Amino acid sequence: MSATADEPFLQAKGVAKSFAGIMAVHHVDIAVAAGERVGLIGPNGAGKTTLFNCLLGVVPVDRGVVQLAGEDVTRLPIHLRARRGLGRTFQRIELFAEATVREHLLIAERTRRGDGALWKDLLGRGRPKADEIERCDHILGLLGLAELADAPSEHLSLGQGRLLEVGRALMTEPRLLLLDEPSSGLDHDETVDLGRTLRDAQIDRGFGVLLVEHDVEFVSDFTDRCLVLDAGRLIAEGPTGEVLASDAVREAYLGTMGTVA
Amino acid sequence: MLLGASAGSDLLRALVQGTPAGTVYALLALGLVLTYKTSGVFNLALGAQAYVSAALYFQARVSWGWPIIPALLVSVFVLAPALGFVLERLVFRHLRSASAVAKLVVTIGLAVALPAIFDLALGFHSIAGQTPVGIIPGGATVFYNPFGVYALSRNELMAVGVAASAMAGLAVLFRYTTVGLHMRAVVESPRMTELNGIRSDRVSSFSWALSSLFAGMAGVLIAPRFNTLAAPDFFNLVVIAIAAAAIGMLVSLPRTFAGGLGLGLLIAVFQTFLPRWSDSLPWLATVRENLTPAMPFVVLFAVLVLWPAIRRSRAASDPLAGVEPPPPAPAATTRSRGLTVATRVFAVVFFTVTGLVVFFRADASWMFLVTQAVILSLIFLSITVITGLAGEISLCQGTFAAIGAFASFQLVTHLGMSVLLAALVGAVIAAVVGAVLSLPVLRLGGIWLSIATLAFAYFFDSVMVKLSWVGGGKQALAEGTRLPRPLLGPFNMNDNRTFLGLSIILLLIVAFAVVRIREGTVGQTLRALRGSELGAQSIGISPARARITAFAISAFIAGIGGALLAIQQQNVNYSSNFSPFASLFWLVLVVSLGSRTVEGAMQAGAAFGLFDAVLLKGAVIGWLLRSPARIPSVFPLSGTWRFVLFGLGALQFARHPEGLVENGKRGATEAVDRWLAARRERSPVVERTTEPETAA
Ligand SMILES: Nc1ncnc2c1ncn2[C@@H]1O[C@H](COP(=O)(O)OP(=O)(O)OP(=O)(O)O)[C@@H](O)[C@H]1O
Ligand SMILES: [Mg+2]
Repeated sequence: MSATADEPFLQAKGVAKSFAGIMAVHHVDIAVAAGERVGLIGPNGAGKTTLFNCLLGVVPVDRGVVQLAGEDVTRLPIHLRARRGLGRTFQRIELFAEATVREHLLIAERTRRGDGALWKDLLGRGRPKADEIERCDHILGLLGLAELADAPSEHLSLGQGRLLEVGRALMTEPRLLLLDEPSSGLDHDETVDLGRTLRDAQIDRGFGVLLVEHDVEFVSDFTDRCLVLDAGRLIAEGPTGEVLASDAVREAYLGTMGTVA
Repeated sequence: MLLGASAGSDLLRALVQGTPAGTVYALLALGLVLTYKTSGVFNLALGAQAYVSAALYFQARVSWGWPIIPALLVSVFVLAPALGFVLERLVFRHLRSASAVAKLVVTIGLAVALPAIFDLALGFHSIAGQTPVGIIPGGATVFYNPFGVYALSRNELMAVGVAASAMAGLAVLFRYTTVGLHMRAVVESPRMTELNGIRSDRVSSFSWALSSLFAGMAGVLIAPRFNTLAAPDFFNLVVIAIAAAAIGMLVSLPRTFAGGLGLGLLIAVFQTFLPRWSDSLPWLATVRENLTPAMPFVVLFAVLVLWPAIRRSRAASDPLAGVEPPPPAPAATTRSRGLTVATRVFAVVFFTVTGLVVFFRADASWMFLVTQAVILSLIFLSITVITGLAGEISLCQGTFAAIGAFASFQLVTHLGMSVLLAALVGAVIAAVVGAVLSLPVLRLGGIWLSIATLAFAYFFDSVMVKLSWVGGGKQALAEGTRLPRPLLGPFNMNDNRTFLGLSIILLLIVAFAVVRIREGTVGQTLRALRGSELGAQSIGISPARARITAFAISAFIAGIGGALLAIQQQNVNYSSNFSPFASLFWLVLVVSLGSRTVEGAMQAGAAFGLFDAVLLKGAVIGWLLRSPARIPSVFPLSGTWRFVLFGLGALQFARHPEGLVENGKRGATEAVDRWLAARRERSPVVERTTEPETAA
């Protein structure tokens, strides 16, 4: 089965996950088409990160099916899903210690090309090639990190670190990018910057986005469609503006989280 | 039916027989869990602590003629808790946020150093060779036969009684005292975070003292089972304790106790029935004699690989995971370009001069030592790959080297293969073994991975080596595992100088390859995985594939080095070169000098090969004076000091996890850079250096 234009790239059906008897995700159906920008909101502990982890293969699902471009990937490990076009960033930043900004992208590029045989290293062909560096620098330019290309990732601010995670994910040519609270830990200006940069990159590369975010302003600016998760259940879905205005959402989400926005 | 009845009573006998040992294993296992949960330290030195108490008790009884009670009080109830307390205060309290690797290395260092230190201080060697005494009069001569199947000695009954009382005491402590309640809260919680809000320092000191008390008790109780008192036997006990702790998942104390007891019983049952099974199964017969001493390791390996809960506990394997500070960047990335070139030039000049001196002036014994140091450096590069690059602590590098050596021996002896080709094939075999071993082991992760490699090393040591297709069997016992030196065209390697040349060339080739791997895709991939496994997976890196590659490369390097060492000595000399203990020693040496760099491995090789001769025996001075007889007696050091210094090196490692060499280099480069900067611009420097500090 191959993906047609209107068939969603990511499709999850009846995904359920519980921890020690507590249902974190409760029979959730979700579908995101390539190039689409979708928000996923919900109060703390609603199961957003857990749902991400199920989609990405970080935790095994108890029940349900995850498909990428029509292919069942429910049993595949994380890295094989990544190679099928599922990119991500992390709520708690996951950069490679001791690597520079450019090295983060170079290793992603190398992995994407599947060009890492041991014998090539031994023959001295393991060093980055000119076209690889060029591609990295293009992405770094897109994200405004060009100045920092040779800086160790430990020297980055949190906002820059988030962008670097986005850049690293972009190097793998994802068809869908899962962003887990990119604005957490950033102040308002940084968040606006990040949103703008993400949007530029998205328009440039045409990947889809599934965005988990507490910042309602960010969500309403960035996404066209929005899903609402509460206590592990999908309680609302529709165009972002309508969903954010609906009563059910206000009650479940803004009722408890009203101060966030 | 007669057979069935006898099997039944044999089983009962085995169970009775296994109980005393089982209760002692349980005690040790409890000690292991206590410190692991309260300070995140997986204490491989617990056996050394048990040994120290047992030896002091024995010494006091036999050499000093003390009565039982005072000897017991001093060795078990004073020395043991005090030792635990001191270790916690001086060492492990400061390692709270150190990496699991750093902690493990420190405990290995202590496992080696503690017996040596106490031997030097109290003269334990005076009791060597004598049979230990129990803690009750007539312990080994008076027997009781409660079930009519097996006569338990008084010593054994005592062991059961004391261990059971200790467990009961622990239960009371946990139920009725404040510190006990706190300890229990910490020990039984799945994560260490529960430590918040509890006076963790007190809990931690108390746990260490209690753990050490249990170890001391276990040591004194188990000692009469051995013919002589030797520290390595006590290390083996810890291996069983680890298996028991693994069954208890490092959380449940009752299950840990049951695990220890159960393993004692299981081992006794195997000892009883194995001879019988091997009557009908011929392949079992060949390994039978060796399987009995190997039981602990087989059991540990089986528990680790098969026990489902452990495989699932990847994340929980370090209770303090997540608070590890990132390692500091290697000095090379912080220092200025000119300085890098300068140190390179210096190193090249230094090694060239030393090399030339050794090449043209050294006598045969010096040549031998230097060659050995070169080959060891090559072997140590395997640790640079697996630990420095992949971040895994493998405790079986000596075994990989031994596989290379034995394989070459077999190929040369039985197939008449040329030696160098055999060494290469041997290294390939080692690489295959490394890759195959890594399959089950890699699922474990963290500290369990290291423990599984340790179990493998001991399994190889006690079973595989004895097989004739590995170690040569009886024939090898009679004739030795001999290997010839190669003839390579016009070069006859029987000449030591030529062989040294070959070793240096091979070392340079391997070092060059390691640098290329480090800088190439494989190295980058491993570095990414080390930096963040989740992050690496999220861009499509397969952790298993990368780590299997690392294991195979590392085993290959170790294998070729092992073969080379055997060729140099023209004999495999397994027990002096490649024992599991050597693996431990190598690892600690390399990581404490620097596992991240090629220089670190070379310095470790030099230290290992030349330390005894140069420092302890003053050989350099003898050589300078052109006569060993004129070595001044300024070095009245016994070989034991090597172990003490080794332990101190391991402690030092905990403070500078990047390795002593790296640390020294960083200090030196910083000092030089500062000095250069100060010279360049005299007065503004003062203001410049203070400014950023106040800003930050
Ligand atoms: N590994 C785990 N073990 C046990 N429980 C877990 C685990 N991960 C998540 N949970 C539980 O599952 C529920 C959902 O958590 P999750 O992190 O998915 O929520 P979230 O929507 O991402 O919240 P936040 O907005 O705070 O990030 C919570 O009750 C959490 O305690
Ligand atoms: Mg979350």
